[in-house]
Amino acid sequence: MKQLIRLTVNDREYEVGVDPNTTLVDLLRGHLGLTGTKKGCDLGDCGACTVLLDGKAVNSCLVLAVQAGDRTVQTIEGLETAQGLHPLQQAFIEKGAIQCGFCSSGMILSAKELLDRSPHPAEPEIRRAISGNLCRCTGYQKIIEAIKDAAR
Amino acid sequence: MILPKFEFHEPTSISDACELMARHRGEARLLAGGTDLLVNMKKKVLNPKRLVSLGRIPELTQVERSNGTLWIGAGATVSAIAASAMVARDASALGLGARALGTPLIRNLATIGGNIGSARPAADLPPALIVYGAVLVLRSVAGERRLPIGEFFKGPGLTAAHEDELIAAVVIQVPAGYAGAGYLNLGVRKAQDCNIVNVASYLELDGRAEVIRAARVALGSVGPTPLRSPSAEAVLIGQKPTEALFDLAADAAQRDCMPILDFRGSAEYRRDMVGVLARRTLTMALAEARSRN
Repeated sequence: MKQLIRLTVNDREYEVGVDPNTTLVDLLRGHLGLTGTKKGCDLGDCGACTVLLDGKAVNSCLVLAVQAGDRTVQTIEGLETAQGLHPLQQAFIEKGAIQCGFCSSGMILSAKELLDRSPHPAEPEIRRAISGNLCRCTGYQKIIEAIKDAAR
Repeated sequence: MILPKFEFHEPTSISDACELMARHRGEARLLAGGTDLLVNMKKKVLNPKRLVSLGRIPELTQVERSNGTLWIGAGATVSAIAASAMVARDASALGLGARALGTPLIRNLATIGGNIGSARPAADLPPALIVYGAVLVLRSVAGERRLPIGEFFKGPGLTAAHEDELIAAVVIQVPAGYAGAGYLNLGVRKAQDCNIVNVASYLELDGRAEVIRAARVALGSVGPTPLRSPSAEAVLIGQKPTEALFDLAADAAQRDCMPILDFRGSAEYRRDMVGVLARRTLTMALAEARSRN
């Protein structure tokens, strides 16, 4: 039976009926049309589906949509403001840290959680922060440079 | 990957959760961080009729210290434990285990109760909890009981918890002065990896004479459950801590493990690494014990 949940996604409130076995990534992509969150392995291994749940970076494939009820979700679509792209998004473009782009949303959100709590991280901290996000293009070096650049 | 269908409950208190587990005995499973259970459900390894989520029970997430006791609510996330200054000071080996577990994304979801309750032989938190002599607080409609963590694990995925029981908290006696611990894990990668071997060691020194008064060594990933190493502990107790003694203890620890051979490593390699990690964690424990006076 569907359950009615309320949640805030990118500062917008939604009220939506979901089956208990719907995951947060499927709610975002399928029901809310927010396809910037990618679905890779669907098993918590690749990090493509990373979103911020109450400010914490998590695999949205391992969270049930009902568990996100009454909570706040931020996806890649929520980073741009009237002033333009988020500094991390801008740095990813400028440093060539986006190749195929499939890992970018997750990489940027993992990096955002890091910079929100540690504005000027050392490189080992950056590497640790994105250790749950896999890049099949192996563009890690440029991703790390972009995060360093955004933190300056 | 489609999750099988299930009925979903989100109680807001421990007693409500216990009620639900009792009412649906045998067909309900507890959902903590979901990083193990949901994966197994997607892979169709598990197919519970009902899930009782522990995610909205505030009393489960307390981490506090009082009267020399560290109380860690079972719902505390692994990242909260990894970031806790209190854990780093009073139970450093547990903090190291928390930082070694999974990835930052997994650590933000996974809980200490889930890591214990899922009873995976290679789990990162149990070895440290075993050497600290942690006690589990188990709750059900029948009430509360306390069980030393060493008596909890019965096999891969099997525990001493009753079907309708949940882990409410983990209680650790904060080590006294001249006591210290260490934890190390060995895998192929630094993140998102299943351990090949993981070991925790604990030493308590008789302050002035520097004689080892108590020693505990726990070996992970080399048996159906995390294992204590009674032989290594017997070598250590009553002796002065030296490199030669740690070598003897490491050899003894190798005799106490029963590793399997799989694609992650051969049994011989695992046994050798048990020795290496035992020696290194004993050295860590000694350094910490000397610094805590």
